[in-house]
Amino acid sequence: MDAITDFMAEDHRSCDALFVAVEQAVARGAWQAAGNEFRRFHDAMLHHFAAEESVLFPLFEQRTGMYRGPTQVMRGEHSQIRQLLSAAESALAESNADDYAGTAETLLIMLQQHNVKEENVLYPMCDQYLADQLETLLPELQKQIAGEERLSR
Amino acid sequence: MQALLSFEQAPPFAAPLRFFLTAPLFAMLAGMLLLWTGPGLLASRWTPAALALTHLITVGFLLQVMLGAMIQILPVVAGANMLRPGLLASLVHAAIVPGALLLTAGFLTFQPLAYWLAAILLGGGALLFVGVAGHALFVVPSTNPTIRGLKLSLPSLTVTVGLGGSLAAGLAGSLQLPLQQLASIHLTWGLVGWGVILLATVAFVVVPMFQITPPYPAWFARSFAWSLLTLLCCWSLVAGWQWPGGALLAGAVVLHVVAFAALTLHVQSRSKRASFDATQRLWQVAMLCALAACSVWYAGTTVPELDDRLEWLCGVLALLGGFMSVTIGMLYKIVPFLVWLHLQNQGAGRVLAPSMHKVIAARQIERQAQSHFLSLALLLAAVVWPEWLAYPAGLAIVLANGWLLRNLLAAVAFYRRHRLRIAAVASADGTRR
Repeated sequence: MDAITDFMAEDHRSCDALFVAVEQAVARGAWQAAGNEFRRFHDAMLHHFAAEESVLFPLFEQRTGMYRGPTQVMRGEHSQIRQLLSAAESALAESNADDYAGTAETLLIMLQQHNVKEENVLYPMCDQYLADQLETLLPELQKQIAGEERLSR
Repeated sequence: MQALLSFEQAPPFAAPLRFFLTAPLFAMLAGMLLLWTGPGLLASRWTPAALALTHLITVGFLLQVMLGAMIQILPVVAGANMLRPGLLASLVHAAIVPGALLLTAGFLTFQPLAYWLAAILLGGGALLFVGVAGHALFVVPSTNPTIRGLKLSLPSLTVTVGLGGSLAAGLAGSLQLPLQQLASIHLTWGLVGWGVILLATVAFVVVPMFQITPPYPAWFARSFAWSLLTLLCCWSLVAGWQWPGGALLAGAVVLHVVAFAALTLHVQSRSKRASFDATQRLWQVAMLCALAACSVWYAGTTVPELDDRLEWLCGVLALLGGFMSVTIGMLYKIVPFLVWLHLQNQGAGRVLAPSMHKVIAARQIERQAQSHFLSLALLLAAVVWPEWLAYPAGLAIVLANGWLLRNLLAAVAFYRRHRLRIAAVASADGTRR
């Protein structure tokens, strides 16, 4: 019933855990560890976006005919989040804790308000329209999220 | 489904901002009223000045911020798009602000006309909001506790405002009503039915997501709003007709608040964030105050001779300690984020918006939060020693909310400065082409 919502929301929570790992390393002043953790977070985010932009959204658009609806908004927000990820990466490269904290806070709120929209509105719509596709869709999403497909950077 | 097609349609920045900027002015007025009236205001919660002060905080400060925030968050958390949010915000704001001032004037001058105008303006403003928000939410399926909670908070606001309007008519001398009985039902619907249900609904989303905590138990989030609303309806009938069992039902309502506050503290204690910021502290103090307010309420039912002071303590803990603390904490996230978001959109990728931390300096936020805590402590102490502390408490409320206004205006000034920068870059680009 809520298979897509549950699956994708769980990946949001995994990304949150990776975000926290970076923040904690920065708070300890462990810049190298922070850099490593950030790469994991960054990759997980891009894999998640790839799963949505190349698998879930096109299928939803095809099924509903809504090409300029919520999926278009989500793609726009992905691009804003990518910009914030780059800014956070630069702050880490300069070992600038204040800049990182400011960008990370902005990134967190941007990300979470984006997640709320997806989890409360878009994914439930996907569950409603794509219920008959779950058998092929979920493994495909899993593959993208695990990074087995090339990243569409 | 049509309503879901464009959930990017964020309302214009001015829509929520107008509420956020005028709210601290009302809290400042509340402090000034205490300075003007002195210790006499605290003699009983039924003094005209005490009623005026309470409504400056509840309608002037809390209701305003809640309405402004709801206009902003309905499209985000529920995909519910309100019709013309900019116009709605202007109309509701234009009704609520003079309505709150006239209500204060009514309490202080006993002028029937002031009560009538206040009832018409506040009733009209709130019902317009409920109508438009209800229409937007109606088409959205209740797929989760947040959407359900938002829907359920609206009837509570309607009941609160409806009872408030009747009470105003009663005070204006046009209706013969059991005023004290109705007032107690009115305030319970306002604080618990509207306030706690809305706050809990928002908490179920924002605490886990922004403080990175485990979620609230699913059964709790799912049943909280429904169960509280059902109890409130039963209690109101029992209290209205003075049937037996009122105390038991009231106890069950208070237990819901205790459970929510305790659970929020528990969830928050498991936050994985590396640092504990002012907003998290404001939430924590708010939940501790909510628990304290519930304990004081319970003490009031067992030691009736202390009733009068305990009622005051309960009210100050709930309003200043609970609702105001959370509201201030939320403003410090919502306003800088909206500044960033609108600048980022206007910059269209060519000019990157500075991060949220640059919008209001963290030190200013920390210090303002401390000044708010000081005003809370002084007002609590003033309830016990009014002769000594009523004036310092009034002054502290004026200062803490003046500081809040200053911080919010700093965010607006920052926004305007960067808009000019974006316009300059855009016109330079245009010239180059």
